[in-house]
Amino acid sequence: MEGTEELLKQLKQWSNVAEQRIREIPAEQLYVSIGVLFLTFILFLLIRLLKRTKSNTIVLTGLSGSGKTILFYQLRDGSSHQGTVTSMEPNAGSFVLHSESEKKGKINPVCVIDVPGHSRLRPKLDDYLPQAAGLVFVVDALDFLPNCRAAAEYLYDILTKASVVKKKIPMLILCNKTDKVTAHTKDFIRKQLEKEIDKLRTSRTAISDADIANEYTLGVTGEAFAFSQCYNKVVVAESSGLTGEISQVEQFIREIVRP
Amino acid sequence: MLEQLLIFTRGGLILWTCKELGNALRGSPIDTLIRSCLLEERSGQTSYNYDAPGTSYCLKWIFNNDLGLIFVAVYQRILNLLYVDDLLLSMKEKFSEVYDPKRMSYDELDASFKQLREAAEARAEKLKMLNQVAKPMGISNRRLGQMGIARSNGGEKKMANGKDGDEKDSDSLKGNGSSSHVGMIEKSSTVVKSKENGSSEKGAFDVSKLKLKSKGGKKNDTAAVINKVVSKTEPKKITKKNRVWDDKPKEVVVELDYSKEKGEEKVEANVDENGVPNLRKSMMDKDENVSSDSESEEEEESGNNNTKKKGWFSSMFQSIAGKANLEKSDLEPALKALKDRLMTKNVAEEIAEKLCESVAASLEGKKMASFTRISSIVKTAMEEALVRILTPRRSIDILRDVHAAKEQGKPYVVVFVGVNGVGKSTNLAKVAYWLLQHDVSVMVAACDTFRSGAVEQLRTHARRLQIPIFEKGYEKDPAIVAKEAIQEATRNGSDVVLVDTAGRMQDNEPLMRALSKLIYLNSPDLVLFVGEALVGNDAVDQLSKFDQKLADLSASPSTRLIDGILLTKFDTIDDKVGAALSMVYISGAPVMFVGCGQSYTDLKKLNVKSIVRTLLK
Repeated sequence: MEGTEELLKQLKQWSNVAEQRIREIPAEQLYVSIGVLFLTFILFLLIRLLKRTKSNTIVLTGLSGSGKTILFYQLRDGSSHQGTVTSMEPNAGSFVLHSESEKKGKINPVCVIDVPGHSRLRPKLDDYLPQAAGLVFVVDALDFLPNCRAAAEYLYDILTKASVVKKKIPMLILCNKTDKVTAHTKDFIRKQLEKEIDKLRTSRTAISDADIANEYTLGVTGEAFAFSQCYNKVVVAESSGLTGEISQVEQFIREIVRP
Repeated sequence: MLEQLLIFTRGGLILWTCKELGNALRGSPIDTLIRSCLLEERSGQTSYNYDAPGTSYCLKWIFNNDLGLIFVAVYQRILNLLYVDDLLLSMKEKFSEVYDPKRMSYDELDASFKQLREAAEARAEKLKMLNQVAKPMGISNRRLGQMGIARSNGGEKKMANGKDGDEKDSDSLKGNGSSSHVGMIEKSSTVVKSKENGSSEKGAFDVSKLKLKSKGGKKNDTAAVINKVVSKTEPKKITKKNRVWDDKPKEVVVELDYSKEKGEEKVEANVDENGVPNLRKSMMDKDENVSSDSESEEEEESGNNNTKKKGWFSSMFQSIAGKANLEKSDLEPALKALKDRLMTKNVAEEIAEKLCESVAASLEGKKMASFTRISSIVKTAMEEALVRILTPRRSIDILRDVHAAKEQGKPYVVVFVGVNGVGKSTNLAKVAYWLLQHDVSVMVAACDTFRSGAVEQLRTHARRLQIPIFEKGYEKDPAIVAKEAIQEATRNGSDVVLVDTAGRMQDNEPLMRALSKLIYLNSPDLVLFVGEALVGNDAVDQLSKFDQKLADLSASPSTRLIDGILLTKFDTIDDKVGAALSMVYISGAPVMFVGCGQSYTDLKKLNVKSIVRTLLK
């Protein structure tokens, strides 16, 4: 009891001394110091926020054979070289887009990752999604209808992943190989994909709490699914990897990486 | 003549193709090679055959794991060229000198390719000459050489002993037709590639030959040969443990025991009249919480205790300093340990062997980073390979398929096949229960017209689940019964028809023929092979024979093979989950369901990550 009383006395003494010291400091200095501390704190917060949105990684994904690797090399070098085969590993590179390489001044390099589309290598996508600032889902516009279901399932899986929904990663659905005559238009592809995803929604959410594979549900119940109902921004565009017609892709990338 | 020679990166970009052999390849052999062979972890094979309408190619390949490059040669299968392996090796060396990650085109290689090919062809011609001269002697000497080598391998590890038999055997090897190895013997400037092991099936002495001749006389050769000889003579016998039943709560037993009730018609259904389930949900729909625990380093330490003290010190030193290039001899002990571990987990011996070869092929020549142990590199590579094999190649969303068939107005037909006593009827009922919970109308077809009580068994299940059953009694042709069942289902609007067949051994020709007829006649949407998780090496035999018989005996041009696997009795194995791996590897079909108990709710999906973790624990 005496010990605690003594401690309390000591504490009181110290607080009195401290008060006196503080009172001694002229008011302006006090305010200035507090103000400086406050400012540095705010600056710190701002920098952290900015750094988080600074990610400049674009992930290319899609079914096997849709043209991701060709697109990667087009973005990087402006030519498709001697052709490609089915990728077994991801292609990653941080570079300035080829079409912008002639511009002067400091240009932010873009990090592009091309993830293999083969179904056995699907788990690799999960390794790269956390760092993605934007997703490009490449669809083969030429051979679309036989693969429509597989493409829709893959797209559905991506759109219902937690990381994509929470971070609202913008997505571009790219209809590739449009240089060929028999390629479908992007509107047709968009409508077909929406229909397929609608069907998937009903079959996957037959029992709502049994939906273990997908972490979120898509769209609004009762209405037909449309890409505009997604939390993240979904845009559709056309391109042709072989001929180099990738202006829409580059536009999308520039919107994300250098706002 | 060579059709084409390609060099491409693992990421998919073609770096160089031979321009003078400008033949366009028919079909897409390279893509098929990647999809059906390299991604299926069969890269330990020596060659791959590709058939396209009009041509049939044979493809051979070589990896450069350090730079991440693949060299593929394509030629007509009927030609049986002998210099291809030799040529691939020399191209690989040449290219590795020139390679630069920034460069995309390598035109100067055309000239060097010509030279190398001519040199390889000349060497092959020379060998052919030599062998034709020595051929009459070769056959008799083969016997001697075989015995001599086997004995010498059993005892010493010296090169000198092997040398006597070498000359004679090199000729006889040619007689074997495995001429690629001969080319390798002559030009043994680098380490023998692991793909040579694939042909070890033909004769264990072949491989030993090469390794003895290769530079350095590594100590691994004999060990490898002994492994193969031993594995051939003594197939591992994994004894079956007694089944240990989990402690189930008593109420469950009481609930489902209706033997005391008199009238059979009073059997209570698990699903009431509206089809709304009033019992537990099938475990297919339950989320599995898999806790991710970090790897324990102790496992690796215990594995390494076997090596001598000196070996431990040098491996520690190597792991810190990092080694220039991984070689076969370095990978051998780690791979052997991994293979043994897999086999103790009930993976079939053949499969474990092939997997290890494939992993070796993908790791050889890679640069080891510092502070990494060889065993951890091998383990990571094996883990990746296992995940890749067990990840399904196509979608296993049955409900989606059912909906698609419903739209077309046809019933979705599933046929359950398998050997005797694996649990087809039980698991058929479980699948029916699960489908009922997802608002799908099911019908059961009793096409097991052989076993006594099979039809009654299904009748009981159907009554419990309140679903229609189509039966025609015993001693009827199952194919006809199935056909009529499907017609009945179309008539009364059932979404799914589950067809139960009789169990049959894979060697029984007439029964397999009957099965093939059933499948051909009814063209089901899904052929589900039911296999039990307790099976050991026989899984490989069962599945390959089933697939083969279905392909051979089918009368139609389009053959239906096994589309999916249903793994049963999963609760009886604790952590010996290797049967899943063997079955998926040998057939390529995904595991669609896992039966883990004997009640209606005991049906799960396969959790790839947990299986891989259990296999490598």
